[in-house]
Amino acid sequence: MSTTFQLNGETCRFDGDPMTPLVDLLRRDRFMTGTKAVCREGFCGACTVHVEGVPVPACLRPVGLLEGLSVTTIEGASRYDAEARRLQAAFERVDVVQCGMCFPGMVMNLSQFLRENRSADRDAVKHAMVGNICRCTGYERIVDAVMECLAEAHSPGGTDV
Amino acid sequence: MPGIAEERLIVAETIEDARDALRQGRAVLAGGSWVMRAPVRGQALPERLVSVGRIAALGRVEVEENGYVIGAAVTHIALTEALRGMPQLTGLVTAAATSANPAVRRVATVGGNLCCVDFAASDFAPALLACGALVYLETAQGPVTLPMTEFLARRAEVLPRALLTGVRVPRSVRASAHQRLPMRKAGDYPVAIVSMAICGGELHIAVGSVEPVARRWTALEQALDRRALDPERAGGLAETLNDFNGRDGIEADGWYRREVLPALVRRCTAALLSGESR
Repeated sequence: MSTTFQLNGETCRFDGDPMTPLVDLLRRDRFMTGTKAVCREGFCGACTVHVEGVPVPACLRPVGLLEGLSVTTIEGASRYDAEARRLQAAFERVDVVQCGMCFPGMVMNLSQFLRENRSADRDAVKHAMVGNICRCTGYERIVDAVMECLAEAHSPGGTDV
Repeated sequence: MPGIAEERLIVAETIEDARDALRQGRAVLAGGSWVMRAPVRGQALPERLVSVGRIAALGRVEVEENGYVIGAAVTHIALTEALRGMPQLTGLVTAAATSANPAVRRVATVGGNLCCVDFAASDFAPALLACGALVYLETAQGPVTLPMTEFLARRAEVLPRALLTGVRVPRSVRASAHQRLPMRKAGDYPVAIVSMAICGGELHIAVGSVEPVARRWTALEQALDRRALDPERAGGLAETLNDFNGRDGIEADGWYRREVLPALVRRCTAALLSGESR
């Protein structure tokens, strides 16, 4: 069984076992190591990618189910997704960075959240992060960075104006 | 190039295709959130599978005269969105909207949740039990409908030969509530769940995650007067009538699952009353 899908805007063809988790294809075959393989159970969020624009755990997606779909990883989002780039910049500005293991998943999850929830408060942001575990426990600063992005979007010259 | 018979994974387009693949011994792949974790559980992935995620008929939520029909491939997120405007189904919506985490809820399906025989912490099992749901199956002999209680009791025997196509929640559900106790050390699994629903004139109470299979709490249902429901009284009776044998697991001991039930009954009763008054 061969599977063909769009990976960060380019055609990707995979001829291996269709039950291969997407995270393994990304890391082992495509060397896209920004997507982290940690719990492999969908609990930690470190392997979050967008499939058809929706954040999902790459550890739970068999490649065989991706035929004809579009996949974006943190590498692609950093290049093509303005919301993800804004969030990455805010992470840096607010000095969020600790070990960095959870960040690609956080960015993939929260960039979509930001797009869909322009009026979110801190509680809503925390709820959205339930499936993204930071083992350095740096949650509050991550929320600070997201809130800064939201404030920026509402400010004159922001993306909502 | 292997033929279809040898392909490890095939993607069914119709219920008939999926049913035929099942008859050939293939395992059903829905959202994948349970199957893909097999290696973590120390189990092998199934050798041959059929995906049902692209069968249009399984991906719908339909409101009919006598009930709500929910396709087996409807994801937790899709169900939350489809039923959010129906306050009487708050219990089911809470089950769909709070299980696991947002990313898993985007892929995990209603059918997958009910068909994982070894998954004791299913949120849908107690929520649908409380609502008096029916389960639709497609077999080689034709369609079969089972009440949730019977489905849960017989699913290990039935599922190798039957495709779960959906569930029906009756329109007689007037109010419902769902309370769960998650613990960080239990991952995203609840250690105990209480679901309640008022169906017709009856109060239904179901408990999940405490025993290996969810079940109705009939002793408590019989002791509670639906017309004079009170959270404190319900919690007190739940202490007296607690007939559950908690399962031991790495995330929680059996005694603990049992002990938290009265508190969950209090919360669930309060939530049910608040929903009913709306």
